[in-house]
Amino acid sequence: MSRTISEPTQSESTRGGPPEPARRVLRVGRLLALPVHPRSLVIGSALLVVLLVAAAATLSLGRLGIPLAQIPAALGGQGEATHLFALERLRGPRLVVAAGTGVALGLAGSLFQSVTRNPLGSPDVIGLAAGAGAGASVAALALPGIVPVPLGALAGASLAIVIVYLVTGTGLRDPGRLIIAGIGVAAMATALTHFVVSVMARDQAGVLASYVNGSLSARSWDHAATIWVAVALAVPFVLALAGPITVNEMGDELADSLGAGATTTRTGAVVLSVVLSAAAVSVAGPIAFISLTAPQIARRLSAAPGPNLVLSAVVGALILVCADLAVQQSPVGDGLPVGVFTMALGGVYLGYLLIREWRKGTL
Amino acid sequence: MKTRTTAPPKAGPVRATLMLGVGVAALAGAVLLSLVAGSKPTPPLEVLGVFTGGADPYIVTVVESRIPRTIVGVLAGAALALAGTLMQGVTRNPLADPGLLGVNAGAAAAVVTATALLGPTSVTGTVWWALPGALLAGLAAYTVGTRGGDGGMVRLLLAGAVVSAVLTAYVQAVALSMPDVFDSYRYWVVGSLAGRGVDVVLAVLPVIGLGLVLALFVMGGLNALALGDEAAVATGANVTVTRAGGLVAGVLLASGATAAAGPIAFVGLAVPHVVRSLVGVDFRVQVPFAALVGPTLLLVADVVGRTVVRPMELMVGVVTAFVGAPVLLYVLRRTKGAS
Repeated sequence: MSRTISEPTQSESTRGGPPEPARRVLRVGRLLALPVHPRSLVIGSALLVVLLVAAAATLSLGRLGIPLAQIPAALGGQGEATHLFALERLRGPRLVVAAGTGVALGLAGSLFQSVTRNPLGSPDVIGLAAGAGAGASVAALALPGIVPVPLGALAGASLAIVIVYLVTGTGLRDPGRLIIAGIGVAAMATALTHFVVSVMARDQAGVLASYVNGSLSARSWDHAATIWVAVALAVPFVLALAGPITVNEMGDELADSLGAGATTTRTGAVVLSVVLSAAAVSVAGPIAFISLTAPQIARRLSAAPGPNLVLSAVVGALILVCADLAVQQSPVGDGLPVGVFTMALGGVYLGYLLIREWRKGTL
Repeated sequence: MKTRTTAPPKAGPVRATLMLGVGVAALAGAVLLSLVAGSKPTPPLEVLGVFTGGADPYIVTVVESRIPRTIVGVLAGAALALAGTLMQGVTRNPLADPGLLGVNAGAAAAVVTATALLGPTSVTGTVWWALPGALLAGLAAYTVGTRGGDGGMVRLLLAGAVVSAVLTAYVQAVALSMPDVFDSYRYWVVGSLAGRGVDVVLAVLPVIGLGLVLALFVMGGLNALALGDEAAVATGANVTVTRAGGLVAGVLLASGATAAAGPIAFVGLAVPHVVRSLVGVDFRVQVPFAALVGPTLLLVADVVGRTVVRPMELMVGVVTAFVGAPVLLYVLRRTKGAS
């Protein structure tokens, strides 16, 4: 029986070098025991610093930017009216939405790839993004002005997941069946989107094609609240699942015999992952590729086994904030949807990591 | 791959032969249907008259215009289904599709670049851009993905994903910022058999033919590969050669098909799953059977697209998903004894 891919865990754990020190564990009473991986901590902190720099750049660059020195004052509600307007209405909500969406997508991808043991896995392969695109297209073509496009996207994503769930016949616990059902549903949804884009008038089609790539323009604090509330609700469950998921990567039989309940863990992780992605779709449209690349980048940076949940979340936020910065400030970014840049950024960086590994002869 | 754990049908020689016979008959029916049916209805008897001579010259012209389109459908359908089977077999990943190594994205990038630089071109013109674009992208992903020695499939999958992502980002950026390019790209990206002439067939035939021959050579080795690398080596199989041959054949087949008909990824993704559940896991049966099921699906989808909204046509890329996906979901539903 050849399970889907399990190489990452094997090769990481058999990698050469000095033997790892005993794992350190952070304990909070008897409720919580989190393993602490020193290298992940260092890298996570470094990435957070980069994220802060990118955030500051997002706020301060460009025509309506707030000068760096003024940012603390503006955050405190003081300063020039234009600065406050830019912070409260334009850049601020957009930045917060970008970070939250990135966190949600990074977590979702990390959970999904871990429990399916498939590096190509993400909630998108079970039809979520494709369903969102199709929902948005139908809303734009058939019911223009009646159903808002983002609502159509959310409805499409939900419908896709429901169909996948019903078709598998085994619910969400068997990744193999889930993936095949997802292929079918995603293919129909994508075909529908392509069809709508090809029959629409040219200008409308361009607008729709941009939306289907995911967009962060003109976000409000409502969007920010939506995504962060979803993340906050998901975090306790993610923490509760972190341990069992790591055990799950070693195989169902072992996980079951250790009392980790492989099936329960997997169903929980898939549900969480779908909820997080759906929240991301509802605020930013189907943004491509973050849930696929963020976990892989995190794994390569930390060199730690397991799903690297926290680091994936940080990497996800970093990719999306940087991509959004590029859309706002780079000369080529003008008018392009942010999803184009997440593909380019995530893709180039993952490619760099792969080539570096090849040079070093590891993996 | 999962179907192996879900008790596939026993693929004895009798059943395999029977299924192959059914497959040949189905394909023959689909070819006939593709010649007879169209946005202009022609009675089957008059179509037969074209081949025996003595038919209305108008009907002759109509039917003759359907011949190259049907050939492209057979070639592209077979190539996509085979490419998908090979990619899924080599990577042991049920999500592998013909576009796995960036072939679709490479073709798209080349087509978009050509349109941006030279303006809209004919279908034949795009073939000569799409073909090298697809081959180059596949080669790049293959090179980055297979270096490093241990043959880990994760690297390969990720390398393909990276090449696809970067090229797709380029395609989207160009298409969305140049309305004229977007206007022709949005039709190309759906995938269609309409307007393909003999020149398109001749352009892709060598590439698809070479891929087909390679596929026949490696299909036995894929059975050993399915056992896992260690077991395959232990049985005396040459894992490296099989894997390289399978991937190169997959890239050739996918490039040819995408250049001829646009990116119709679904055929390559779904047909292998359907084939596995019908004839079992032996690649020596899977490969020829996929070469029959793929074109049947594509031709039937094309006929549906030509007839369902007469006198207009739906592009085959749209219809394929709606004809094929229900079959895939039905097959999935039927194999219910899940692990």
